[in-house]
Amino acid sequence: MRTVLVASMRHHTRRYVAASVAVAIGVAFIVVVGMLTGATRSGLTADVGAPVRGADHVVSTSTTEEVDRLVEAAADSGVPALTLGYAMEPVTRDGVQLAATVDVAEASLDPRLQWQQLEDGRFPAAAGEALADVNRAKSNDVRLGDVVRVGTGDAAVDVEVVGMVDSPAAMGASLYVPWHDLRRLEDTLWVHAVAWGGSAAEARTAAPDATVEPAADWVAARQAEISRGVDVIAIMALLFVAIALFVGVLVITNTFSILFAQRMRDFALLRCVGVTRRQLRRAIRLEALALGLVAAGVGVVLGALAGAGLVALVRRWFTDMGPAAVDPVWTGSAFAVGTLVTLGAAWLPTRTATRVLPLAALRPDTGVDVRSAAGRWRLGLAALCLSGGTALLALAVAGSSLPAMLAGGVVSFVGVLLVGPVLVPWLIRLADRLPASGPVRRLATGNAVRNPRRTATTAASLLVGVTLTTAILTGLASSRTAIDRDMDESYPLDASITAVDAPLEASLVGRVAGTAGVTDARGLDGTVATVGRVDLPLLGVGGDTGVVRGPADLAPADGIVRLPYAVVEELPTRLGDRVWEDAEITVVVAGRERTLRVETGSGWGRAGLVSPATLAALDPEPRPMAVWARAGDGTDAEDLSGDLAALAGAAGAELGGGFANRTWVDLQVDILTGAVVGLMAVAIVIALVGIANTLGLSVLERARENALLRAMGLTRRQLRRAMAVEGLLLSSVATVLGTAVGLVFAWVGVQVMVAGVVDGAGFTVPVWQLAVVAAVAGLAGLAACVVPARRAARVTPAAGLALD
Amino acid sequence: MTTTLDTGTGTPTGTATAASARGLTRTYGDGDSTVHALRGVDLDLPAGRFTAIMGPSGSGKSTLMHCLAGLDAATSGTVTVAGRDLAGLDDTALTLFRREHIGFVFQAFNLLPMLTAGQNILLPLELAGRAVDRDRYDQVVAVLGLADRLGHLPSQLSGGQQQRVAIARALVTQPDIVFADEPTGNLDSEASAEVLGHLRRSVRELGMTVVMVTHELDAAAYADDVVVIHDGAVTAHLTDPGQDQLVAALRGRVA
Ligand SMILES: Nc1ncnc2c1ncn2[C@@H]1O[C@H](COP(=O)(O)OP(=O)(O)O)[C@@H](O)[C@H]1O
Ligand SMILES: [Mg+2]
Repeated sequence: MRTVLVASMRHHTRRYVAASVAVAIGVAFIVVVGMLTGATRSGLTADVGAPVRGADHVVSTSTTEEVDRLVEAAADSGVPALTLGYAMEPVTRDGVQLAATVDVAEASLDPRLQWQQLEDGRFPAAAGEALADVNRAKSNDVRLGDVVRVGTGDAAVDVEVVGMVDSPAAMGASLYVPWHDLRRLEDTLWVHAVAWGGSAAEARTAAPDATVEPAADWVAARQAEISRGVDVIAIMALLFVAIALFVGVLVITNTFSILFAQRMRDFALLRCVGVTRRQLRRAIRLEALALGLVAAGVGVVLGALAGAGLVALVRRWFTDMGPAAVDPVWTGSAFAVGTLVTLGAAWLPTRTATRVLPLAALRPDTGVDVRSAAGRWRLGLAALCLSGGTALLALAVAGSSLPAMLAGGVVSFVGVLLVGPVLVPWLIRLADRLPASGPVRRLATGNAVRNPRRTATTAASLLVGVTLTTAILTGLASSRTAIDRDMDESYPLDASITAVDAPLEASLVGRVAGTAGVTDARGLDGTVATVGRVDLPLLGVGGDTGVVRGPADLAPADGIVRLPYAVVEELPTRLGDRVWEDAEITVVVAGRERTLRVETGSGWGRAGLVSPATLAALDPEPRPMAVWARAGDGTDAEDLSGDLAALAGAAGAELGGGFANRTWVDLQVDILTGAVVGLMAVAIVIALVGIANTLGLSVLERARENALLRAMGLTRRQLRRAMAVEGLLLSSVATVLGTAVGLVFAWVGVQVMVAGVVDGAGFTVPVWQLAVVAAVAGLAGLAACVVPARRAARVTPAAGLALD
Repeated sequence: MTTTLDTGTGTPTGTATAASARGLTRTYGDGDSTVHALRGVDLDLPAGRFTAIMGPSGSGKSTLMHCLAGLDAATSGTVTVAGRDLAGLDDTALTLFRREHIGFVFQAFNLLPMLTAGQNILLPLELAGRAVDRDRYDQVVAVLGLADRLGHLPSQLSGGQQQRVAIARALVTQPDIVFADEPTGNLDSEASAEVLGHLRRSVRELGMTVVMVTHELDAAAYADDVVVIHDGAVTAHLTDPGQDQLVAALRGRVA
C-alpha cells in the first residue's frame, strides 16, 4: 500500500496545491495573530514596574483627598512618594497650541523616584520645571529649554522643559511636571495610585480607605490587567481566524470530494486487486495527514516570516511594540489546528470514496460525470435550520437578546449552506435567463450547475466572507449614523471662539473663515450680561446660522435663554435652584433687566444664547462677541485647533467646539471598519483560492469534454470565456446571496445591539462600501479562473482527446 | 482498379481531392525520447468516397487523422483541406475552419454527458451560431434512425446509438469531410456493422466524404478506398480493393 500511497501523492501533488494554500493561509493567520499580540503584550508589560521601582508599596486610591493627604504625609515625614496618574490638558507655546490633549504626569523631585530614563538635560529640581517624553516631543517640535503652557484659563501653568526622557508605553506620559504644578490641573487630573517609599502602616494612617500592597504585587496585577486587555484583542482576532478556517474547511472538503470523484476508478481498481476498504481508508487518510502536515508547516513558516515583518513594520511607528518572538505553544497549536482541520475536512469525502464498489472499475469508462444532488434529509435539515434560525432571530429582535441573535444567525446560516445545492444552481439558472445568452453562456451555466453540491460548496466558501463583511459593514454604518446623531447633539459646533468679557474685533470672522479647513464661519453679535453674580456673554442666535451641525439649530425662541450646564453650576445655590425648579432666571445688561425662561444644554462654549429680538431688548447696540465655525470633512483636527487657538489667544477669547472629539470617534469607527475588512479579507482570499481550485480541478476533469468541444469548433477564446463566465456566475451568485443574507443579519444586529442603546437608531446601508465588496468579490471570481482558463485553453484538441 | 504501392500518391483521376498531405511529419518529444509518429506522409483523399486508414496499433493512424483534421499541428509538411492550406492558420482560424468544413466521430467519449442526443447533434451549429437547417436535420436524423432517441441523455443510449448520434452530429453541418477515429472500437460486431453501414450510406446517399481510421479488417471492408500505414509511413493506397488484395497489402507490410 505504501508504493500506491507515495505514487498517488506524487501524481496528484499539483491538484493538492490549492487545498494546501487554504490550510497554509489559515495557519499563517494564526501565527501572525500570535506574534502581533505577543509583541504588543511584551512591549506593554515590559516596563510597567518602572515608576514604582524606588518604592516599597503602592497605595491605590482614587479620591483626591486621600491623594493629597498621602502627599502631605510623605512631605512631612520625608517618605518618598510619587503619584501615578495623569491630567489631560492642551499644551501651548507662545500662544500657539502644540497639542489639544497631552497626558501630563508627575515628575518627582526626589532622585529615588526619578524613574524615567534621562536622554538629555536634567531632572526637575523645583516647581515650574518639566520633563518631556523624547518621542512625543519630537513629533510636536518641543526642545530642551522651551517654556510651554499646560492647561487653560486660571489653572494654566507655565513650565520649562529641563529634561528629555524615554518612558515606556503602559506607564509613561508625554510631559512630567512636579506635583505642585500637576495639582493645579485638577479638572482633568486623575490619580489612581501613589508609589509609597514608607511603611504600609504609615500609608494606612494617611489614607485609611486606600489599598496598600507591596510594589511587586501591584506590578504583577497591572501586567495581568494589560495581558487580559491584549488577550481580548487576540480572542477577537481568533474569531476571524475561525471564520477563515471554516472557509478553509469548505475548500479542503471540496478539493477532496472532487479529487476522490476523479480517482473513483483507481480506488475501485485497488479494491478489485484485493485492497480492503479499511486499507483504502487508511491510505487516503494518510494522504490527508501528509497534506495537512506539509501545509501547516508551510503556514507556520510563512506566518513567522509575515509576523516578523509586520512587527518590524509596526515598531517603526509604534515604538512601544515589543520585539517579534515565536511563541512555541501558540505556534504548535496553530500547526496542530492546521493538520487537524485538514484531516477533519477529509473525513466525510473519505467515507464516501471508500464506499466505492470494486465493480465500478469494470464498468465502461464514460468519462467523469459526477453528479450529486441534494439528499432529502439534507433539505429537511435545511428547512429546520432556516425556520429555527428565523424564529431565534425574531426572538432576538423582540427581546434584544444577543445570545439569541448569535444562535439564530449561526443556525440560519447553516440552513442557507445546507440549502445551497438547490438554491445556488437555481440562482445560476436564473442568472442565465438574463438577455443576450449565447452558446458560451449556456455552456458555462451547464457546467456550473452540473454538480450542485460542488458548486454550492464553492459558492458557500465565498458566501461566508461576503455575508459577514456585508453584515459588519452595514452594522458599523448604522452605528455610525447613530453615533453621528449623538455627536451632532453633543457637539453642534465644530469650533467656537467666544469672547470672555470684551467684544471681539469684527475682522476675526474673516480670519477664522480664512483658516485652512474651515468651510464656513459666522460672527455672532452679543453683549455681556450678568446672571446672578456671574458675568457671561449673551449671544443673539437667529434662525439658520449655517454652521451648526445636526437638525437643531441652537436658535432659542424669544424670551428664552439657553445656558450651558457649567454656567448653571456656577450660579449661587438660590439661583441655581430656581433654574432647575422653575426654569427661570433674571438677566441684567447695563441696568436693563429681563426674566427669561431657561433651557440648559452644552456645546457652544461659555455663553448664553437668546434670540436676536430678546438681545435687542436687552442691548440695542450689540457688538461681535463670538465666531462659530464649521470644519470641512477630513480636516486635521490638531492643525485646526492649533490655528484657531492662536487666533483665540490673540483675541483674548476662549476656544471651544467638538471637532476633535468628532474626528476622534470617526477615526475609531474607521479603524474598526478597516480592521474588520482586513481580517475578513483573509477568509475571502481563501474562498477565491477555493474557486480557482474547483475550476482548476474541473478543467482536468473536463479535459476530454473540452477537447471534444474544441474539435467541434469552440475557439480558444470561447473556451476561456466560458470558464470566465462560469467563475463569474459562481462568484456573483455567492455575492448576491451573501449581500442579501448579510443585510438581513445586519438589520437584526442593529435592532438587537444598537436600537437598545440609541433609541430610534436607523438602518443605514453603506451602498458604496457594499458595492466595492460586491465588485471585488465578483471580479475576484473572474480573476480566480484566469489560470484554470488559460490552462484549459492551452491544450490542443488532439492532446485532450488522447488523454486516458 | 488502380493500385499504388509504397509512397503512393495516386488519386482516382477525375475526382476532386477533399484533403491532401505533402511531406507530413509529426514527432513527439525531443532528444533520445523522440517518437516519429509520422515520417513524410504524402497522401490525397478523394472527395465523395469512403476511405479507411488502416494499420496496426501505434502506427500513427490517429496522429495522421489529427493532423489532417487540424486538431494537431504538423511538425513539418503541408496539409490541405477543402483547398485550404492549414499551415497558415492560427488556432482561432483553424477552429473556425473546423466548424465550417470538418466533422468528427471519435472512438469513445463522443458526446457531452449533460446534453441530450438532439442537443449534441445541434452542438456544432450552436457553437458556430449558425441557423439550423431543419430539413437537413430531419434527413440526417432519419437516415441514422434516431428520431425516437433525440430527448435521451448519452448515458441512456447504447454504444451503437451513441455512435450514431455522433455521426449525425458530424453530418448535420454538411462538412466537406468527416473524420472518424475507430468509431467501432468499442462496439460489438452487430452494432459495428450498423454504424459502418450508416457511414457508408452517408457517403452514398448524402454525398459526404468520410475518412475512417481503423485497425479492423472487417471495418475496412465497408470502405471504398484503403490507405495502409505502417510505422508512420503510407505503404499502400488501394482503390476499391478486394478482400484478398487488402489482406495481401496488410500482410506484405506486417511481415
Ligand atoms: N502525445 C504523444 N506523446 C508522445 N508520443 C505520442 C503521443 N501521441 C502518440 N504518440 C506516439 O506516436 C505513435 C503513433 O500514435 P497513434 O497515432 O496514436 O497510433 P495509432 O492511432 O495508429 O494507434 C505511437 O508510437 C505513440 O506512442
Ligand atoms: Mg489510435
